Amino acid sequence: MKKGYFLTIFLISLFAWADDDHHKSHTMEMEAHSHEGHKHEVMVDGRKLEVDPDRFDKFVDGQKNFHVAVISVNGMVCDFCARGIEKTFKKDKSVQKIDVDLSRGKVLVLYSLSAKIEFEDIKQKILSNGQNATDLQVISI
Amino acid sequence: MGILKKFFCSLFLISSIEARPISYSGGSTLMSISDNLKDSTYYHYSPTYKYSIGVEQVKDKFFDKKFTYLRLTYLINRKNTKNSQRNLYFQSALSTDNLNDNFYGMHGDWETRRLFSGFGYKKVINNFRDFAEQYFQLGIAPYQGNYGDFHTWILMKTRKNSLVGDWKTYPVLKFFKGDFLFEIGYDSDVDWDVHLMYRF
Repeated sequence: MKKGYFLTIFLISLFAWADDDHHKSHTMEMEAHSHEGHKHEVMVDGRKLEVDPDRFDKFVDGQKNFHVAVISVNGMVCDFCARGIEKTFKKDKSVQKIDVDLSRGKVLVLYSLSAKIEFEDIKQKILSNGQNATDLQVISI
Repeated sequence: MGILKKFFCSLFLISSIEARPISYSGGSTLMSISDNLKDSTYYHYSPTYKYSIGVEQVKDKFFDKKFTYLRLTYLINRKNTKNSQRNLYFQSALSTDNLNDNFYGMHGDWETRRLFSGFGYKKVINNFRDFAEQYFQLGIAPYQGNYGDFHTWILMKTRKNSLVGDWKTYPVLKFFKGDFLFEIGYDSDVDWDVHLMYRF
């Protein structure tokens, strides 16, 4: 039985250490959403917002005159590991609200309209928590 | 001492180690672990996500001695993908009382939102008798909670301490919510294996 246990761990380890580069080219598309007029349906740089439609609508519900940054993050696999992201962004006074979507690897940040949003700064904030920001979409609401 | 009394004493007296050895930049972590061989309390601070420095107090039950260690943990390698994270760490420590008392080792993990696997090796050197600790862990999350939910993991842990000999394999439950993490395992030989963690 112990041999089987070690074999299982070994096989999983092999899988883990294998190069996962195929994930890089995989983009999670937004699910079809039939409601019209919702903010998540806007195009950003020719692309749809890659968000959970319901989650996004709930996040921006009742908000006006803000920027919303939708950040794609690699390595955000657990709640406990993502805590630092929320804490880091909350130190920024222009950040009003933040939401973490673990299932899609997205971080939503609500910025005041006067905020200057730069991908390099965001990448640094995410990296300070040990994860990697791979994409940024910003819309104004 | 009754099992329940022992368990609750463990909860409040002890400290922890292997899991989450480095926090986010500027973050602190307070950990505790208790098992049949030691009770320990460990505080660490992470100047960056690459390393942490800290102090650990260990009550060694085998030698009936207390040690205070200054510890360093360094992230050797991390690979983030969309669905997984893999880590490899180096850890080392020096006793504040005697530089001949120290330990070093490696540990690593790989996890997705559904699966977890981890391993560790630690060589402890002291004036009494050197020994080594090894462990492997394999786990699955029975459900995938959202951010802020109560999260649960079911794991199997197998470990060996060269002071006591054989490999012991036993089930472990891990729970976390917000900044708190709690892990508990039980084996009739190992007794309670309890980890607590608070990150701030």
